[in-house]
Amino acid sequence: MFLEINGIKKSFGEGESRVEVLKGIDAQIEKGEFCVLLGPSGSGKSTLLNIIGGIDSADEGYISINGEKTKDMNEKALTLYRRKHLGYIFQMYNLIPNLNIKENIEVGAYLSDSPLNVDELLKALGLYEHRHKLPNQLSGGQQQRTAIGRAVIKNPDILLCDEPTGALDYKTSKEILAIISDLNKKYGSTVVMVTHNDAIKNMADRVIKLRDGVIRKNYINDTKLTAEELDW
Amino acid sequence: MKNPLNRRLPRELKADLPKYLIIFLFFVMTISAVSGFLISDNSLRKANDEAFTELKVEDGNYEFTERSSPEDMEAIEQEGGIRIYENFYKEEPVQSLENSTFRVFGQRTEIDLVDVWEGSLPAADNELGIDRLFAKNHGLKVGSTIKFADKEFTISGIVALSDYSCLFQNPSDMMFDNDKFGVGVLSASGFEALRDDHIHYSYSYFCSTRPADDTAAKDAAEKLIGTLSAHGNVERFIPAFSNQAIQFAPNDMKGDSMGIVIFLYVIIIILAFVFSITISNTITKEAGTIGTLRASGYTRGEILRHYMILPMLTLTAGAVVGNLLGYTLLNDIFAAAYLNSYSLTTYEVVFTPDAFIKTTLIPFVLMFLINLIMLVSKLRLSPLRFLRRDLKRKSRKKAFKLNTKIPIMIRFRLRVIFQNLPNYIMIFFGVLFAEFMIMFSLIFQPMLDTFQENTTDNLLAACQYVLKAPVPTQTEGAEAYTTSSLQTIKAETGIKEEDVTIYGIGKDSKYVKVSSGKGKVDISTAYHKKYGVDTGDTIKLKDQYSGKTYELTVGGYYEYPAIIAVFMDQEDLNALIGCDEGYFNAYFSNNTIEDIEEKYIATRITETELTKVSRQLVRSMGSMMIIFTVFGTIIFVLVIYLLAKIIIEKNTQSISMTKILGYNDGEINSLYIHSTTIVTVLSLIICLIIGDRTLAIVMFEVFKGYSGWFEYSLAPSVIFKVLGLGIVTYLAVVLLLSRKVKHIPLDEALKNVE
Repeated sequence: MFLEINGIKKSFGEGESRVEVLKGIDAQIEKGEFCVLLGPSGSGKSTLLNIIGGIDSADEGYISINGEKTKDMNEKALTLYRRKHLGYIFQMYNLIPNLNIKENIEVGAYLSDSPLNVDELLKALGLYEHRHKLPNQLSGGQQQRTAIGRAVIKNPDILLCDEPTGALDYKTSKEILAIISDLNKKYGSTVVMVTHNDAIKNMADRVIKLRDGVIRKNYINDTKLTAEELDW
Repeated sequence: MKNPLNRRLPRELKADLPKYLIIFLFFVMTISAVSGFLISDNSLRKANDEAFTELKVEDGNYEFTERSSPEDMEAIEQEGGIRIYENFYKEEPVQSLENSTFRVFGQRTEIDLVDVWEGSLPAADNELGIDRLFAKNHGLKVGSTIKFADKEFTISGIVALSDYSCLFQNPSDMMFDNDKFGVGVLSASGFEALRDDHIHYSYSYFCSTRPADDTAAKDAAEKLIGTLSAHGNVERFIPAFSNQAIQFAPNDMKGDSMGIVIFLYVIIIILAFVFSITISNTITKEAGTIGTLRASGYTRGEILRHYMILPMLTLTAGAVVGNLLGYTLLNDIFAAAYLNSYSLTTYEVVFTPDAFIKTTLIPFVLMFLINLIMLVSKLRLSPLRFLRRDLKRKSRKKAFKLNTKIPIMIRFRLRVIFQNLPNYIMIFFGVLFAEFMIMFSLIFQPMLDTFQENTTDNLLAACQYVLKAPVPTQTEGAEAYTTSSLQTIKAETGIKEEDVTIYGIGKDSKYVKVSSGKGKVDISTAYHKKYGVDTGDTIKLKDQYSGKTYELTVGGYYEYPAIIAVFMDQEDLNALIGCDEGYFNAYFSNNTIEDIEEKYIATRITETELTKVSRQLVRSMGSMMIIFTVFGTIIFVLVIYLLAKIIIEKNTQSISMTKILGYNDGEINSLYIHSTTIVTVLSLIICLIIGDRTLAIVMFEVFKGYSGWFEYSLAPSVIFKVLGLGIVTYLAVVLLLSRKVKHIPLDEALKNVE
């Protein structure tokens, strides 16, 4: 199994204000799978994503990627792990304001020994004409596409997406989802996407539904739709 | 692949060009000044150190009342373990210049050799080699003439006497005086031909075995005093280590060098903190991006290096340009400043690694460390914390409570102050340093004026004539008194030994009213303040040459603010020094005494003598003080502007939001700029008090090492000037900040809102 989530528990706060966010999560994700973590606010889906990404730690349990347990890694090794294997996309684009679009994507390319071709990716993302513009000259959707480009350019094994369409309108959201789906197919990256948008589950290979820190459902989606076919 | 983040750097530089340019220029100014200073200081000190060997500077000198016989000289040499050379001089008022005294030596061939700056050493009887500085101060050049001892001399050379790098007339003088006192050399026959009215039988010596250190030199000197006393009446004895004329200039240069280097480091530290606050602000602003980069696999080191590059590059560029300017242009200016104060020997500019280390390497390390510590502590947070923009190291506490009875605008301002506390703390320290510099530069002139005024107002008499023998005079109003000189004892006072003038005043004196009766003494107010001696205390003094000690009980103070002196009954003093009841050796007189032959007059003490310290301080420090005022003002503006600008930038969104709500520019300024105004004005006042107390301590420590007393005081005019300068420059900063606030767009509040 490519990505194993084993007995993950996580709580915040101490004493009476202690909140158990994850109460023992077990799941397995295949390589190249498009997995959606679905759940309402406070269900623990972002926390789980952050633990998978090695930017947060579990109180109990472990994450194993290709047989490597992240909890055995020190901070330096975790950084290297993220550098080599992970791509991150957030709801906020977090682009560097004084670098142009191409340069923002190159910031991701710098981390890889064998990055994808920047110009090709820019074309694939529909950003080639805008490559010399600064982020503040682009729309939200274009900025999110740039953020996707920055994450994907290093051809990561896993693409972690935390509400990537949360700040976007309906049409742009669908465009972004289509791009992520295309990249998943084209480059074979495993995608783990956190969302509270129930409709998105329909385009996933695997759906994991979380509520109150436990998995309510974990299933393979046999009736997969394209991003264009989604509606909400 | 090169790190694409580096491409941000030129853009960031361009975007914040005024800030980087100001700091760069400030680095250039400071580093060029310090490197120029250090190069000149090192070069002059090296030349001065080398002169000790090359120009055979003495190990000490002494003066006898009478000339020693060859047998006595031989005996002293054998008993004292020294080699003696006659180094007689004659001291005469300069007839062609007002109020100036000239000390002229004969030809020197074996000790204390003369360095020629221009022209040549005197060959004919009427030729004179004159000290460079004295000549300069009086516009004398090679070929000019000067008249003393009723003879006219033509200047054949502009010279430096190796044992007079600083023109101290007397070892006990508080300050040198290169305007009213000069030295020079004549040819052997020229010196012989000059009248002997004011000849001084001065002998310079080398120790057979040079003392290893100051302690050994002191021990040897104490031993030598005994030997000398056994072979003649010692008028003066000065080992080289305590000879101000030899030691003052190198010691002063060494002290200046330390001071200016500390000044540089303080500026670097302030600017490093300014940078670190700027970077910290940028990191807060870019927290999301940093979190994303860290989550994507950028290492902490890569991010840290990225934020370190611009400050370090700014400093490096400043150091390169500063050093170039310092090495090429400013070293001459600083050398000239020293050469305007000291009679130094000729020198060559030397470039030493010392200047480079102090002006470039150490500032680089300081800047690096301060920013590194700040960045490491800031970037230690996890990527998640950056993504959540939760950069407070301690868990977020609730907003502290403010009484709701306080008007909202005041509460708002208070919150702005507490929110930006690090910036305001830095503003406080910036103001403290700048204000201290400005105060330091401004206090001198009024202090010197007060000193001069006090000295003039408290003259014992228009002139004091110290005699070689008790000669009578018919001059109207002249009043005889006895004077002697004793020394303080370091073990008693904790301050290095200094001469104390003892005045034995006759009963019913018209000039000095001694309040203490017989058996007790009055001490000068200078003595009281410098040594903290009060009435009822006993002071212990010693005779420098015999080593005998005296204990005197203080019965009162005499208003004499500059000189360390003791006033007592004349008969008591005569008894103390073992003289007859009616003995005297000096006159107070408000009229010129003309009926005593010159050869009987040892010294004349006039207002000119007593105020030379203030004249010299003005001459030596005047230009330096202007530099301090300018630097202090620039630091003040720089620190306040940069830090207040950060506060505005940090609050851009809030300011924009308040604009949307309908607040006008004036109201917004009153919230965000007036908070800075409150802090700045409070800082100005608090720092003035701290500066005053600090300067009082610093000045006491500085001036206690000098002979006499120079009292620290903060004139009201200085307080007004410092506060005025602070407020006026701050108003200029306010104008710039108001412009910045005015240009914040309304839509800023709507951008990047999560």
